[in-house]
Amino acid sequence: MSDVALRAGDITEEANTGRLDAWWEWFEQRLEFAGDALNPILVKETRQAIKSRQFALTFVMLLIACWGVTIGGVAIVGPGIRYMAAGGDLLLFYYGILAFPLAVIVPFAAFRSLAAERDDNTYDLLAVSTLTPRQIINGKLGSAVVQMGVFFSAVSPCLAFTYLLRGVDVVTILLLLGDLVLGSLGLSMIALLMAAVSNQRYGQIVVSVVLVAGLLLVFWYATQTATEIVRNGPMYTGDPGFWVSVLFGLTVYATTMAILYFAAAGMVTFSSANRSTPLRATVFVQQVCLLGWAAYYWIASNFEVEWLVMTAIGIGLYWQFVGALLTGESPELSRRVRRGLPQTTMGRLLFTWFQPGSGTGYMFAIANLVAWALMLCAASALAESWGTSTHGLTVGLLVFCILGIGYVVAYLGIGRLIVAMLRRWTIVSMLGAFLIQFLLALAGSGIPYVIQMTTAEMRNLPYHYLQVTNPIWTLSYLIDDRDLPPETIPLLIVIPGAALCVFLANLPSLVRETRQSRLAVPQRVVEDEAALHPEPATLPSSPWDEAGITE
Amino acid sequence: MRAAAVVVSSMIVAKQPQVELRHLHRVFDRTHAVNDVSFEVEAGQVFGYIGPNGAGKTTSMRILATLDEPTSGDALVDGFSVVDDPERVRRRLGFMPDYFGTYQNVNVREYLDFFARAYGLHGTERKRALGYVMDFTGLDVLADKPIDGLSKGMKQRLCLGRTMIHDPSVMVLDEPAAALDPRARIELREMIARLADAGKAVLISSHILTELAEICDRVAIIEQGRLLAVGSVAEISAQVKTDTTVRLRVVRDASTLAKWLKARSDVDQVRVDDRWVAFRHAGDDDAQAQLLREIVDADFRVIEFGVRSKTLEDVFLEVTKGRVQ
Repeated sequence: MSDVALRAGDITEEANTGRLDAWWEWFEQRLEFAGDALNPILVKETRQAIKSRQFALTFVMLLIACWGVTIGGVAIVGPGIRYMAAGGDLLLFYYGILAFPLAVIVPFAAFRSLAAERDDNTYDLLAVSTLTPRQIINGKLGSAVVQMGVFFSAVSPCLAFTYLLRGVDVVTILLLLGDLVLGSLGLSMIALLMAAVSNQRYGQIVVSVVLVAGLLLVFWYATQTATEIVRNGPMYTGDPGFWVSVLFGLTVYATTMAILYFAAAGMVTFSSANRSTPLRATVFVQQVCLLGWAAYYWIASNFEVEWLVMTAIGIGLYWQFVGALLTGESPELSRRVRRGLPQTTMGRLLFTWFQPGSGTGYMFAIANLVAWALMLCAASALAESWGTSTHGLTVGLLVFCILGIGYVVAYLGIGRLIVAMLRRWTIVSMLGAFLIQFLLALAGSGIPYVIQMTTAEMRNLPYHYLQVTNPIWTLSYLIDDRDLPPETIPLLIVIPGAALCVFLANLPSLVRETRQSRLAVPQRVVEDEAALHPEPATLPSSPWDEAGITE
Repeated sequence: MRAAAVVVSSMIVAKQPQVELRHLHRVFDRTHAVNDVSFEVEAGQVFGYIGPNGAGKTTSMRILATLDEPTSGDALVDGFSVVDDPERVRRRLGFMPDYFGTYQNVNVREYLDFFARAYGLHGTERKRALGYVMDFTGLDVLADKPIDGLSKGMKQRLCLGRTMIHDPSVMVLDEPAAALDPRARIELREMIARLADAGKAVLISSHILTELAEICDRVAIIEQGRLLAVGSVAEISAQVKTDTTVRLRVVRDASTLAKWLKARSDVDQVRVDDRWVAFRHAGDDDAQAQLLREIVDADFRVIEFGVRSKTLEDVFLEVTKGRVQ
């Protein structure tokens, strides 16, 4: 080969190397950009996990378990593997192997990850950085997802193998795995919320024991359910109701996850910030979704009033629970929150109840409950007018709703007054206020029940006015029969009357709370905002603009 | 017009103090940890915050760092309230607590990289910040070393690096020199001085008063949550009316001079050591000059006359009572 040819070859090789380098540089840049877009906590925890012995050990053990099951399973089945449908049984083993890390290890690691930030004094360092509380929760949750992905990658070849062995269809496999992933994500979210709530070491120990016990229970339940599903064959074929219920489950799951997420983020948010509005908005969205589903199931049940009663019971319990949490908020709004208060009359009318505060929380719960009750009664009346429901049931539902609302208004209101009184002398946290509400409801229901059950003369009575503070007995007695009992009228006077009195007692503080007005944003903040987000330069809309000949 | 407005705005900003505590109170149950504390720190100033254990230094610093909320009063960083605008404060403030706060399985570069990301630095900006901080703290040679294997001095450097990774205009350092050997202390002191030279407002608390005395432009003395004095060491010394230690060297007759001094009402605690006479004198500079004139007029042959200037320790001991709550 001539020198010229050799040199030409060198040049081509150099050009190829240069192109490769340029491509590699371009690729690295893209990776760098992608890395920048990732959550910092996710990046850090992934780096830590790669170097962690614990993670490596879990991963290797998972692999060994999968290989062991595969080899053992194939050995046991022997030549029968050619004609036997052994996929289902093997799937259960693999499911168990995967379910343990996903249902126990990943959520507990998420809990420890946040709790350890407090133990190791690194939480303060995160808090003083510009990471938002949502970024902190996203990072921890993202890290859990990465771990799930790694565990999945170890088991996925085995799962594909079970399909090849027959005995289980691909939809069942996907449903089981989807359920496991969503479950693990949900459990991780709950674990993060628990870690955010328990900021004291003693509390953390108690919570971690409860969490581990709960996770093990979930693991056991998941494997039992999976066994039932695989053994009983596919449950979805020919039943569109199954897929509707899956959709319903997904709606409840997504909205509950959002509530848990905002609750966890709220727990790590600086106390002067507005932690309540996102939560209330999500609760409201969940209500709207549930309303849609309630309507669907009511129509699907041929307009049965029982559906409406069940919905009323569920919604009453829901708002008693949410209301007990919301009324525990502080009635004093920080200056920061007051900057964001609605200004217009319409805005104040509609959105004041979404703002933080004990009184607004009380009203938010009552307003939602009343709206539900009205809709349920309207639906029942509509069904009666169409002739699809038995005549007269709407009255029963209406009485049930009035008394139910009366109980919620009275209990939440009394609890709120007690908390307000205690707050004059001491600090009552939101959880403390919730506990007071819980104990109040327990005392109101439990004490009369115990008295009646321990008194010989009253024990066998179907109802006694002693139970007037006991919503469970009173309301269940009301709906026990299609005809309203004779005690209805006195109850309709006493319970709503008491609720009205309690509401009026709460009214002055409620009005005080809602009269707090919006504060102007300080000039320094306005300047900083302008510097951070400068207005885009306006483009000339005509040649005259460009020449500066503008009005 | 817009540019002019920005210039005017920045001029206004430049005038305001970088740190301002306004009647700060913090109450924990029955303990008034911080009780009506107010002071200001200007840009380029090193401000020493001194007081005995449990005086309320860390509590005030945590409030300033947006880790705690005041019961009443406010603290401003670059004009932003720590209560109302903590996010804006965090962009401008670097806080170094009195503990390390390190992660497992992370090396020096990864640790700083994480905090650079946490402060929202991206791409080349982050790389530049990492390079600068590692160079400033001298950690560039240890970039790949796991944090667990670092010495205390190096960990302290790392924490300082973390505190300054986002180039804050205010740095709050809580006991940064604690548990450091003398060399590490000197190096840390130099780094703090360089930060102040770069225009940063540095609020620093320390028990080692000699360390603070050399680098602090102003100090605040706090005890039982109350601010006892604020100003330069000289200003506080002047405010506190106390005796001054005077040392005299005479040719001979030191004991006669001691007797002569003991007869005076403005002199106390007279001690003789060879030809040296030391005593406490209650009086200002004029009174000391008058005393020297009288000694010379009394035929004592004075070779040296010296007044020991007050150290920060003296001032601290004079101002505080050693009470704890």
